[in-house]
Amino acid sequence: MHLELSEDQEFFRDTARRFLESEMPIATSRQLFDDPDGFDRGWWRSAAELGWTAMLASEASGGGSLSGRPVADAAIVAEELGRLVAPGPFLPVNLVIAALSGAPGHEETAAALVAGEQLAAWAFGEPGNRWEPSGFATTAEPDGDGVVLSGTKAFVEGGGVADHLLVAARTGAGLTQVLVPRDAAGVTVRPSKSIDLGRRFAEIRFDGVRLPAGAVVGEVGGAAADIERLLQLALVLQCADVTGGLDRVFEFTLEYMGDRYAFGRPISSYQALKHRVADLLLMLESGKGCVDAAVRAVDDGDDDAAVEASVAKAYIGDKCLHVIQECMQFHGGISVTWEHDIHLYLRRATVSRALYGTPEQHRERICALLGF
Amino acid sequence: MAEELEGLASFRERARAFIKATLPKLGSTGELPMAEHKALQAAIFDAGFAGIAFPKEYGGAGLTLEHQQVWAEEVEGHVVPTGLYVSIGMLGPTLLDHGSEELKRRHLPRILRGDEVWIQLLSEPSGGSDMAGVMTRATRDGDTWVINGAKMWSTGAGSADYGMCLARTDWEQPKHQGLSMFAVPLKAPKVTIEPIVGIDGGRAHFFQEYFDDVVIPAENLIGEENQGWSVAHTLLFHERNATAGVGHGLGLGGGRGGGESEGGTGVEDLKRYAAKAGTLQDAASRRLIAEAYVAEKARQHAGERVTVGMRTGAFKGDWGSLLKLGLALDTLRRGEIGVVLAGADGVIWTDDGGGDAGRAWLGARSISIAGGTNEMQRNIVSERLLGMPREPAVDRDIPFSEVVRRRGRS
Repeated sequence: MHLELSEDQEFFRDTARRFLESEMPIATSRQLFDDPDGFDRGWWRSAAELGWTAMLASEASGGGSLSGRPVADAAIVAEELGRLVAPGPFLPVNLVIAALSGAPGHEETAAALVAGEQLAAWAFGEPGNRWEPSGFATTAEPDGDGVVLSGTKAFVEGGGVADHLLVAARTGAGLTQVLVPRDAAGVTVRPSKSIDLGRRFAEIRFDGVRLPAGAVVGEVGGAAADIERLLQLALVLQCADVTGGLDRVFEFTLEYMGDRYAFGRPISSYQALKHRVADLLLMLESGKGCVDAAVRAVDDGDDDAAVEASVAKAYIGDKCLHVIQECMQFHGGISVTWEHDIHLYLRRATVSRALYGTPEQHRERICALLGF
Repeated sequence: MAEELEGLASFRERARAFIKATLPKLGSTGELPMAEHKALQAAIFDAGFAGIAFPKEYGGAGLTLEHQQVWAEEVEGHVVPTGLYVSIGMLGPTLLDHGSEELKRRHLPRILRGDEVWIQLLSEPSGGSDMAGVMTRATRDGDTWVINGAKMWSTGAGSADYGMCLARTDWEQPKHQGLSMFAVPLKAPKVTIEPIVGIDGGRAHFFQEYFDDVVIPAENLIGEENQGWSVAHTLLFHERNATAGVGHGLGLGGGRGGGESEGGTGVEDLKRYAAKAGTLQDAASRRLIAEAYVAEKARQHAGERVTVGMRTGAFKGDWGSLLKLGLALDTLRRGEIGVVLAGADGVIWTDDGGGDAGRAWLGARSISIAGGTNEMQRNIVSERLLGMPREPAVDRDIPFSEVVRRRGRS
């Protein structure tokens, strides 16, 4: 979204866009709607070769950011994915890479993720639309040198294909993150169904899963700050994805309104519609401004990064469905057909709106962060 | 080649030192009379901080709008001559763009120093949004022009020296093509200025003016004869930018680039209303306060984005209109939130105080109309920023005299 990309970043964006347009156009994504994984692993390895898994990884795991602004680099890819409603594990894999970056003992796993050879997912939210870690029911209880993990995680993006699950759990009053091999005893992965036809989600049960000390990422009971940072990252990348999609929908809607004639002139000349389009541009540009600000704050690790990330989520989550619905209305009948792509954007946006906390939950979080 | 411009960091340091030494802290003075605004501006001018992005030959500092932005950031929290914001932020830039060399040399230094105050004379009693339909008449008479007509909604006319007045000079041209712009001295004989009391019932901010055979010298024409519409366009452009918090007016207290909201509807005000009503911990109140906070942030970030876009060239033209639309919609909404949170305390009060929410709510609607209605901003956004076609108009290509005749018949 940002208007001041470096030359390297512009090249990176153009390469990502070309790769998606040739390797994952919407016609191809549509063929994957019934595929249990939702994407092809060979395709993902090619994406990894383009650097889509490198920006948030430490150099020890084969990573590094081209601009020194890793979150901004990741947001560039997220935005391109959103523009083409592309499938794949970009968000979950990168969240886990970010968590493992700099966590001693996890370099090898991180390297396999960076190479695109293995996949991972962040098991964060819980059934009942629960996104606030202090209310989590999943626990990691100390057991000898290791921990025992019990509970159920829901809405886990990419959970069905993940080789590793990074689980956020409570330990007494504190929080712990553990990296769980998918094939560990006591792990049950159930694929979920979703309004979004492109992405895949799973519900995952942990029945007294025993894990060695080496599975813990960070400190037992001391992961609150790490979890907060991952949540911020998830939010800004999600918002970049959604605004990328809105940008594309707005673009093809304007084009359609110029081409479509009614009562002897293009429908784009009717004030009754133009005024609504002007309001949409205001929402779109304000949303992009929020993403820019949140990306900057998270990259810098600013004190207000949490607020900025929640502001972006609350604003974009609130506006995105309205923007797409208006664009559907401008399209008329064709917009409610299977054949037209706009419903794919609507589906993806409404799922993103709900993931990692709804706008309603983030407004409450903002009140708490502001101290009242 | 020209001398090298002062760097932003050095400018910032210099500005900070001057501001600290010269400008009172906000809230330390109460409302200042116009004479005090002029005295402050004179001090700012004499220290070289007026008209920061204006050329030196016209009294400016010869720097850039980025320096203006730095000034605006540094001046935050201090008393600035807001009474001159229209004159310096809107009229000065328009005169710079279109005035003759003689007009610019004579008036711009005085405008920038606050010695001379200019306002705009565009809207008329017979037409607001349809601004090109002006009925005020300017007739050439030897070395003079004679002005007859009425103007309305002029901000600050009560204390102004000159008005930039759009008048019709050729009635046989189509409506946009027979207009010219003039510098009209407001203290001239046969100019009558009357205040319009606003919805708050308080001190008048708007005025109505009547011109009855007002004679002005021929050289007071701004731009070419019958090219007044393009001058008006420029003026509106500067007005929207100033309102939205970009451009020359920045740091004069007009549009607040920082996204800080009008008195009475800021997040702290809203919290205060909810606290008094005992609902600060209620989910419904918290949702509304957070909505206002998020909207304020979104507006601030949209402003930052437009500023960056204008600097890099990614955005060209009337992006101030988009921000002005956002400001108007947001102001109205937060006014509503205020009365919702305050309940009866917001609208009925005693001598002990209260009523802030109601007064702020009442005042919140004028920004949707002043400086170009929301509907006009939406036209500009859709047509000029997005290239959507105009609605067909029935009065564009016929002599204006014919438009007037038809109006009389209908």
